[in-house]
Parts: sequence; C-alpha cells; structure tokens
Amino acid sequence: MSLSASLSIAVQSLNAADGALQATNNNIANANTPGYTRKVVVLQEAPSTTEGNLSAGNGVDLTGYQSVRDELLQTQINQETQAQGSANAQLSSLQQIEPTFTTSTQDIWTEMSALFSSISTLSTDPASSSSRQAVLASGQDLATAFNQASNTLTSQQAGLNTQVTQDVGQINQLTKQIAALNPQLAALKANGQDGGTLQDQQDELVLKLSALTNVSVTQTQDGETVTTGNGTALVAGSQSFALQAEAGSDGMQHVLDQSGNDITSSFTGGDLGGTIQTRDTTIPGLLNQLDTLANQFATAINAAQATGYDQNGDAGQNLFTVSSTVAGSAASITMATTDPTAIAASSDGTSGSNGNLANLSAVQTNTLASGQTPGDAYASLVYQVGSLTSSANAESTATTASLLQLNDQLSSVSGVSIDEESANLITYQQAYEAAARVVSTIQSLFTVTMSMGTAAAE
Amino acid sequence: MRVTNMIPDVQYAMQQSQQNLSTAELQVSTGLRVNQLSDDPAASANMVSSLASSANVDQYTSNITYLLPQMQTADSAISSIVTSLNSAITLGTSGASSTLLTANKQSIASQVQSVLSNVISLANTSSSGVYVFGGSATSTPPFVAASETYTSAQGSAGTPLTTATALNAGSVTTISDATTGQTMTYKAVAGDTIATLQAAVSSAVSAGTLSAGTTAAINANGQLSISTNSSTAGIVVSSNDAALGSMTAASGSAVANAYAYVGNSSVNTVQVGDSMNVATNLPGNQLLTSGANVIGSLTGLISALQSGTTDEIGSATTAVSAALTYVGQQRVPLDSTINEMNSQESYLSQEKITLTTQQTALVGVNLTTAATNLSQAELDNNAVLAAAAKALPQTLLDYLK
Repeated sequence: MSLSASLSIAVQSLNAADGALQATNNNIANANTPGYTRKVVVLQEAPSTTEGNLSAGNGVDLTGYQSVRDELLQTQINQETQAQGSANAQLSSLQQIEPTFTTSTQDIWTEMSALFSSISTLSTDPASSSSRQAVLASGQDLATAFNQASNTLTSQQAGLNTQVTQDVGQINQLTKQIAALNPQLAALKANGQDGGTLQDQQDELVLKLSALTNVSVTQTQDGETVTTGNGTALVAGSQSFALQAEAGSDGMQHVLDQSGNDITSSFTGGDLGGTIQTRDTTIPGLLNQLDTLANQFATAINAAQATGYDQNGDAGQNLFTVSSTVAGSAASITMATTDPTAIAASSDGTSGSNGNLANLSAVQTNTLASGQTPGDAYASLVYQVGSLTSSANAESTATTASLLQLNDQLSSVSGVSIDEESANLITYQQAYEAAARVVSTIQSLFTVTMSMGTAAAE
Repeated sequence: MRVTNMIPDVQYAMQQSQQNLSTAELQVSTGLRVNQLSDDPAASANMVSSLASSANVDQYTSNITYLLPQMQTADSAISSIVTSLNSAITLGTSGASSTLLTANKQSIASQVQSVLSNVISLANTSSSGVYVFGGSATSTPPFVAASETYTSAQGSAGTPLTTATALNAGSVTTISDATTGQTMTYKAVAGDTIATLQAAVSSAVSAGTLSAGTTAAINANGQLSISTNSSTAGIVVSSNDAALGSMTAASGSAVANAYAYVGNSSVNTVQVGDSMNVATNLPGNQLLTSGANVIGSLTGLISALQSGTTDEIGSATTAVSAALTYVGQQRVPLDSTINEMNSQESYLSQEKITLTTQQTALVGVNLTTAATNLSQAELDNNAVLAAAAKALPQTLLDYLK
C-alpha cells in the first residue's frame, strides 16, 4: 500500500470525524427544539483492496445521516394529544360554569330557599307589607339567579361557538403546511433518503393538528394522508382539503367538508372535539335541566297563587312570568308583579288570612311535573355539573401523565442527551486528532522519502 | 433506557407537588374539603337538601320567636279575663242577696259594667301592633262599641244619595251585629248600586246574620243610614266605598253595654316544623261571644242587677260562672300550643347542631388531618424542589471543565 493510499484513508477518517462532529453539533444545537429528532452519522467501512493474497482495508465512508424515530410511539402520542385536547377544552368551559351552581351564596338554591323562608315569615303576619315586600324581593332574586345561570351557560356556548371557527381556521392552516411538505418528503424517500428535518417539521405539524382534532395518519408513497374521524380527507399528497365553518339554522357554527357535508358530529377529539361536545351536548343538557326547573317551579308557584286571594280579596294572579315552553324559561323568567298586595296569602279572601301560604310553601316539598322536588332537581343539576367537571379534570390529568410517559419513551429513542453528545464530542474529537496525526505521520514519511532522494542526488 | 431530558418530568413533579400543597392550604384555610362542586359532586348534591333543612330550621325558629310572645300575650289576656269573670261572679253573688237595697244593686251593676269594659279592653289586646283576638283581622280592635245607627259621609239634602247611586266595584261594606255576633260582608261588583246593598241587608236579616229590623235607607239628609231600629241591639258599620264615604255612628245612638265583633273567625296556622303546624290565634268571637257568651253573660248580669229580681240576678251570675268555665276550656289548646312551641324551639336548636355536624361531615375537613396533610405536602414540595435543584444542573460538561 502506498503512502498516497494511506493519506487517502486518513483524509476519509478526517471527513468521517468531521461529519460526526457536525451531527453532534447539530444535535446539541437542537437539544431543546420541539419535535427535533436526534441525528446519527452513518459510517460504513470502505471496500477493501485485495492484491494477491493480501487484503487491505480502505478506511471509512460517511454514507449519510439518519434520524432516530419510533413511528408507533409518535402515533400513540398523537392519539393521547387528541384526548388531552378534548379533555382540556371541556374542563376549561366547565370550570367557568361550575361556580354558577355553588351551594353558598346567590345561587339558585340559596335564593329559592330564601323565597320559601320569606313566605314562612309572611305566614306569621300575613298583613305585614314589609313581609310581603320581602317575598317579592326574594322572588326577584330567584328570577335573577335563574337569568344569570342561563346567561352564564349561553355565554359559554357562544364563546365555544367562536372557538369552533378559530379551530377550523387553524386546522386548515396546518393541513395546508402538511400537504406542502409531502412532495419533498416523497422525493427524499423515493431516493432512499431520510426525511430528516422535513419529517421532523411534518411530525410536529401533525402533533399540533392532533391537539385540535381527532385525525388518522397513514403513510403512502405520496407522503402522509390525513383524515378526520369519519374518514374525510384533510390531506392527500400535495393537496389539502379545507374545512368550512358555517352558521346553521340553530345559530351555531357547523363544520362542513369540501363537498359541503355537515361533519360537525364526527369531531370527537382535540380542542375542536371537546369544544363541540361541550357546546352541543353538555351545555344544552344543563340548559334543559335549568329551563325545566325554572318553568315547572314558576308554574307551581303560579298554580298555588291561583288557589288563594290577594290582600284586596281578589283571586291570586301569577307571581312569575315564564314562557309557555320549557326552552328559554330560565333566561326569561321574571316577576309578574311589583305589588306586595298581589301575594295570594289568603285562603278566604280576608286580608289577614294566611291559609294559602301553606300551598305556596308546599311547592318546596311537592314534586314538580318532572317527578322531582325543586331541591332534588337542583341537586341533580349540581351533581351533574360537579361530575362532568370532575370527569374532565380526571381525563385531563390522566392524559397529561400518559403523555409525559409517552414523551419520555420517545425522548429515550429520539431525544438529544447532552451527556451522550458530550461523550460523542470527545470520541469524534479524538478520532479527528488521530486521523490528523496519521496525516502528519504520512507527511513526515513523505519528507523522509523526499530527503532520501535529495541525499542520493548529492 | 436513555434518559435525555429530565426537565419535563421535574416540571410535572413540581406542578403536582404545588397543586397538592395548594389544595392542602385551601383546606386548612377554609376548613372545607369540598371547595367546589367537582371536589365531591355527590357531597355537593347532598348539601343542597342539608342546607334547605338548615334554612327551614332557622325559619321555624324565627317563626316561634315571633309568635311566642304574641301567644303568651293572648294567654295572659285570657288569664286576666278569668280574673275579671271571677270578680263579676263575686259581685253577682253579693248582688243576689234579697236584703240588698236597690241603690246598692245599682252600684254593683256599675262595678260589673267596669268589669265588662275591662274584659272588652283585654279582648282588644295587641302585641306588636297585632290584635290577638281579631281572627285574621289583626290590624283593628276586634270589639267595638255598637250603635243603633250609622250614616254615610257622602250625601246631603242638596245632593242626596239615591238607591240608584252606583257603588264602586270591589268596595267592601261590613255590618257587624252585636246581638247575633255575626258580620255581613258585602263586596260590590260592577253595576251594583245602593239598592243592591239594601237587598243584601234584607237577605242578611232573613238569614239571621243581622238582627230583625236592621235596614239600609236614605235618610232625610240624603245620606245612607243603616240602622237596627232597636234600643238594645247595636251594630258597627264600615265601608271603603268612595260613593258612600266613611260610615260613622250617629250621635247619641250608642247602645249601652253592646259590643260588636268586627274581627273574623279565621284561625291562621304557621309551620314551625317539617310536620308541625300550630294555630296562632284564637278568634275573639269564639272566645267571648260563642258558647257560654262571656259578653252576653256580663250584659245579662248588669241588666239583672239594674232591674231584675234576686232570682234573676242569681241566674245571671250562674251564666257568668258558665262563661268562666267556657273561657277556661278555650284557654287549654292555647296553653298546649305554647308548651309545644317551647319544646319545638329546644328541638330545633338541637336539630340545627345535628345539621351543622352533618354538613361538616359532608364537605368539611378534619382540621387535624388537614394540618397533617399540609405538613406532608410542604415536606413533599421541598423534597421535589431539592431533588430538582440537585438533578437539573448535573451534566457531563460540569466534569469536563
């Protein structure tokens, strides 16, 4: 083997060490970059040279760089991110609804209880104008509590409706970016090359998309195909298919696919899924219970009023004004009168009788049309809000812990370890120094050889 | 397993630890285990009924606090009436002596008249502005001195009322008869006139609500005059009809020793327990003009003393004795109710404690446990922070310097 051949091997070693140092450098630089997958240098022994019976090695070839990935873990992380996005969206809304249904102050039950207390106080002195005024004030407070609870729910629903539009906009941006990367990645893979940074970018985009909605990702020769829960294509090759948010007849934003089909109900995961679940199922359910309670309670009080006489001896009139249909009752319930004499306390038409107040008080313990007492109906509402919030909180906590574990696992495969890279740095530095020493040695040998020639000539 | 980046795990551990610390601090500072519905949905739901029970207990206690003095006032008044009746019986017994001079009997009659006046005064007892023997008509004295004739404020010789004078719909005119002890209540409807009222009075006479001879007529001054046309019977008339104006007793028409009950017979009941309602009033007509008729017996004794025979005075005294017995009987349920309310007040006080204990068990926290949890959470948090401080800065680079 000639000195020139040895020099060539040394230069290859320098290149390999330099390339490895570059990979290490890049890993260290991106140690905290979200979505970055560590790169390793791919070294291969150069084909040996055979002369007669002698086979000599030809050094090392740097054949490329390889990203260290685990597609299965990445898929699991995407799925868990979808679950987390949905749970967090629901939790955020429910935590804002929860204080409305406390059992402490100014909530519906406290005000309802105050109304019955004021009716009981009136029974001790039914002619008392101050006691009558107190009943009206308590009734007004209760109506206001119903109005505010309904307003909280509908405001929350309106906010979620806006969120649907925003989520759809973000989804469209992400699918567009994912589609744009597909041709480049397909070309790299067609040449047998690693996706590298482009694949990192696309994986990160898919992760962001998973935080917004439930999607399925499949690999094709044209790149990644992304579909929604019901199979609607969002990305296929270089094409992305934008979703549309459009107001429906119910006043809510509905999500339409590119063909105009309403696919709102197919979104179950991610922020969009959680938002739609809360907007279209959870809040309407709570509103219906609230409206039912308001409507049936007002109807029962009005019916009790009708069995008695007011302070003027006239037949009792409605105390509450409430819509004839259940829907919207909590929002619209108001006091029907501001006249204290209108309270039908009397059972015989005399102004001092309190006989009918027992009928008004009985509304507290009698079952409403729903089969529940007002207290039981409100307790049911309290339990449901608490239970929904608790479940969403538990789901959020569980998915966070699960994601942490999955990310740890993925990081153990794809993440950058500064310690490891530091060790690699030393290894490749030493390799570079050794190769440089070889070059230096060969240079010395060349010099000696050249000197031998000069000495012979002299 | 390669460990690449401990920061996310350390951050998560710190978040969890701080969350636990925050929860422990909140529980200690509020004394509550359940600070929001989601902390324990079932306990929160159970609190609804428990709080309702507490509110009811508070309200029942408040009702008793309000009613008890009123009922004790009524009981005290009845006790005084009993004393007065005993005094009348003593006077009647002394007046029934055959050797007594007429002048002495007249003197005793005057004393019994004072007893009657005192009984009427006691029957008009009020507590905090509430007339306790008026039935459900508690805002005005229930017993009023009766007169033979009442006339309306409206109407004059120049512009007389007529039978065609329209009455205001919804107005109420009442005629309380001292003799029958009953009250006619007339509520005008649209289209009614004085003629309609006159017809109502005639019907009430026929029905026995008003004494025979009671009439409603336009007098020479053009006023509506409602009269009993009897020197022994009396009435009390009131009206809120603007067409008539207020009804006032005609001058000089007062009937001696005649009092009309202008209250009503209604008995109000008030809830003082989940399944306990108590009658809060004893109508004056039930106490003093029904049954043995206290007022009637005293009036009879006065008449007997003024002009009756010894036997008649004796009989009248016996009637007062019967009235005394009757009043005693009427007092029994009132006393019983007062005792029940006192017992109920004690029960409610205990029930309040029971409910508070129940609520503490539902949403409260054992302070010893909470303090221990807080101490443990602080310890855990410090440990997590110390571990993070130890682990995070350590890299290979530190040893390569």
